[in-house]
Amino acid sequence: MLLRLWPEKTAVSFMSLRFIALIISVTALLASAALLGTRGLNLGIDFAGGAVIEITEPDDVSADDIRNAVQPLIVGEVQVNSARGTGPNAPDIAVIRFKPQPPVGDETPDEAQNRAGDEVNAALKALVDEGLPEGESRFEIRSEASVGPKVSGELFRSGIIALTVALALMMVYISFRFQWQYALGAVAALFHDVILTMGMFALTGFEFNLATIAALLTIVGYSMNDTVIVFDRVREEARKYKKLELSKVVDLAINATMSRTLLTSGTTLLALLSIFLFGGPVLRGMSFALIFGVVVGTYSSIFVASAVVLLLGIDRGDKPKREVEGFQGVS
Amino acid sequence: MLNFPLWKVGLIVVIFLWGAILAIPNMFSDGFLGIEPREPSDPSNEVAMAAYQQQLQEAEDSWWFLPAGKLNLGLDLQGGVYLLMEIDPAEIAANRLQTVQADIRTAFNRNPLVERNPPVQNEDRLTIELLNPEEDMDEAVRRLNRLNPTIGTTQTKLFSVSQSGDQFIQLTVPGGARTALAADAQAKMMEIIRRRIDPDGVAEISITPQGDNRIILEAPGEADPKRIKDILGQAGRLTFNMANLDPSAIRAAVTTGRPSPREELVDSIDYGQILVNRIPELTGADIATANRCFDEANFPAVCFRLNSSAATKFYNLTRNNVGRNFAIVLDGTSMSSPSIRVPIPGGNVIIEGRFSIEEAEDLAAIIEAGELPAKLNFLDERTVGPTLGAESIAAGSRASMIGLALVGVFMILAYGLVGGFAVGSLMANIVMIIGALSGFGATLTLPGIAGIILTIGMAVDANVIVFERIREEQSNGRSPATAIQAGYERALSAILDANITTFIAASILYMVGSGPVKGFAVTLAIGILTSVFTAFVVTRWFTVMYLRTFRPKRLAM
Repeated sequence: MLLRLWPEKTAVSFMSLRFIALIISVTALLASAALLGTRGLNLGIDFAGGAVIEITEPDDVSADDIRNAVQPLIVGEVQVNSARGTGPNAPDIAVIRFKPQPPVGDETPDEAQNRAGDEVNAALKALVDEGLPEGESRFEIRSEASVGPKVSGELFRSGIIALTVALALMMVYISFRFQWQYALGAVAALFHDVILTMGMFALTGFEFNLATIAALLTIVGYSMNDTVIVFDRVREEARKYKKLELSKVVDLAINATMSRTLLTSGTTLLALLSIFLFGGPVLRGMSFALIFGVVVGTYSSIFVASAVVLLLGIDRGDKPKREVEGFQGVS
Repeated sequence: MLNFPLWKVGLIVVIFLWGAILAIPNMFSDGFLGIEPREPSDPSNEVAMAAYQQQLQEAEDSWWFLPAGKLNLGLDLQGGVYLLMEIDPAEIAANRLQTVQADIRTAFNRNPLVERNPPVQNEDRLTIELLNPEEDMDEAVRRLNRLNPTIGTTQTKLFSVSQSGDQFIQLTVPGGARTALAADAQAKMMEIIRRRIDPDGVAEISITPQGDNRIILEAPGEADPKRIKDILGQAGRLTFNMANLDPSAIRAAVTTGRPSPREELVDSIDYGQILVNRIPELTGADIATANRCFDEANFPAVCFRLNSSAATKFYNLTRNNVGRNFAIVLDGTSMSSPSIRVPIPGGNVIIEGRFSIEEAEDLAAIIEAGELPAKLNFLDERTVGPTLGAESIAAGSRASMIGLALVGVFMILAYGLVGGFAVGSLMANIVMIIGALSGFGATLTLPGIAGIILTIGMAVDANVIVFERIREEQSNGRSPATAIQAGYERALSAILDANITTFIAASILYMVGSGPVKGFAVTLAIGILTSVFTAFVVTRWFTVMYLRTFRPKRLAM
């Protein structure tokens, strides 16, 4: 017997649940907005500027040692986090972060940032390699990134522009292939997904960076994909059952596509879960966003996109005809 | 939908093989693929020469039909330094205006003399006050317009001349000229950066322009951004000036802060501070070549040779000034201030200092590459060490394998045999993604690997949609053949619409994204194309073959 995630031939009335869903969605949206307003996003250096230096940490050096060595050079707080290295015998890892540095004298902000980075590197070398001969070192710089305020602002703007343009283009495509009611429904679902995912980032404090924007755009793509599958079926059933009430038509379509929705979400989530668990720390934030987005995207294509279409009503081919006849009758 | 004529089968096989052939090179070494190995710059290095010989040998044994393109690994996977630099167009304009001042002086001093106060430059605006404006104004404007240089290879003039008040002339650099200056400077600086970082032309660094006034440097394998920034942070302005080492004159200049008008104080690496003539005798432009060499005590030093006219000038200079000192000044610091014992012919000069070999090499590269037209500002700097890169590759491949296995098992559990067909076409899909990435010369980044894994999860979607339709049609009482036929026909519009919208998202991401994110967009976009192809063509072909061969009464799914 093969695995069935959804029984065949169901007639669950999803649309009768739409007011409960509305309450859930609105609550979640308000909570996200509140979280974004109060806690805000934990912006990574891509958007906030500043520096992140990741080094291997010899056993006799602690995070506090590093903080004490670096803090005097830096305006604002220096964060130092130690972590176990991955793999057997891997040395511990220390991650050092600080915010963009204010310029001193006639420096530009970007120069200040560079100067601070160089000073911190020198201080780390002095701390860890004290007494070693020239050219030898007991630690490795695993990665280092320093972003000046100029670029971080630009990256943030281009990220927002990308999201907006993507949403607009999809709306145009959907209006072109379906009807404008569908486009509005799809875009409402997309906004829903993006805002909830950002709210989730505010809640968990995961770092929000360029990769997160990539994840958001992918969520937009995925959620759209899901929505279009349902819409395609709504369009088909609406043609087939011209007299049937729209809410029944939508329910038919959702029931018919439910098995597919669950299967595809299932395989996608399996793939994403393997990135989240085994893909290493660099991809963790991105895969977290994607996992959350896939779940929310699946929900929204049923309860947001379809519900909006139901609310707006669709053009089912009978109304225009009557108008045309009426027009002829007058003339 | 069930009709697979021979030509269609042939086409499927050809497309798949094409993808596979493009993907295969990733399994072999460069030499085997016939990629010309680079000859080591130092023939005395035995290890490098041996490796080179072996690569040459491998290149001879290579398979001719294999393409040479491999996946490019992004800096986040192979480790390296990424630097985004910017030049300030206003600064370039100001620097150019500064150099034009000498020409203005010459032009105004010609007969009849144009009398004026010394010009005042404020950033990229130069104001000249004429002393006899009634007589000289027209002539002065005419002379300025005549000497106005064009920028680079364009027809754009450097400045515009305007009269302000009765006796003032203003030179300003208009917007168009600024843009042209920045473009010209950008090209020049990319060349200078390359010659400084990679004087032997052997490293795989990439230097690309971005916008009008930015430059991106990517140096794979380099682990020390500090060294690169140090090399690029120097203006590289080298001059030969007559020097005054008289201790009492220096002390007087230091205490009053006012050296004589002809001289200025500069830092010196061997004497603290010294006095040098303001006007240099020779400049960096007079240098033909510079190398790292060793001095008589066998310490690393920088040797350079002047071009022939400068060599003559230098010979005359040393002949006329025996017993005095000259200084070699780099960016306002005297590197060396030897006394002239005998006239020096031939134009060979050596800077001895307390250099390490690496410092001497970098300095030689800076001197030979020449002076930067403006300062470089470092805006965005990212370094990934080789260990982290290797770990990311390992984690990425592990996640891909596990993801693929999970999705495969899930599909077979859900759809049985036809699910297996979908897994087969999923494999073909991955081979084709890798083939396409290699063929396009795209760069694989860590988010790119995430994109491939995500595609593995999403690619089965097209199959799932079709299978669900087939299930439905079967349960409505259709035979397997007609159910498959109807399933594919009805699923087409949904699959196309759904994938086109995702493709829109991926394209936008590609257009605005940078670096690793761009890599993600590329794999996502390619994955969408190949997954639609494999689902609609490859899985269907498998299914139809099965149907024809076994003629089942009912598809178990």
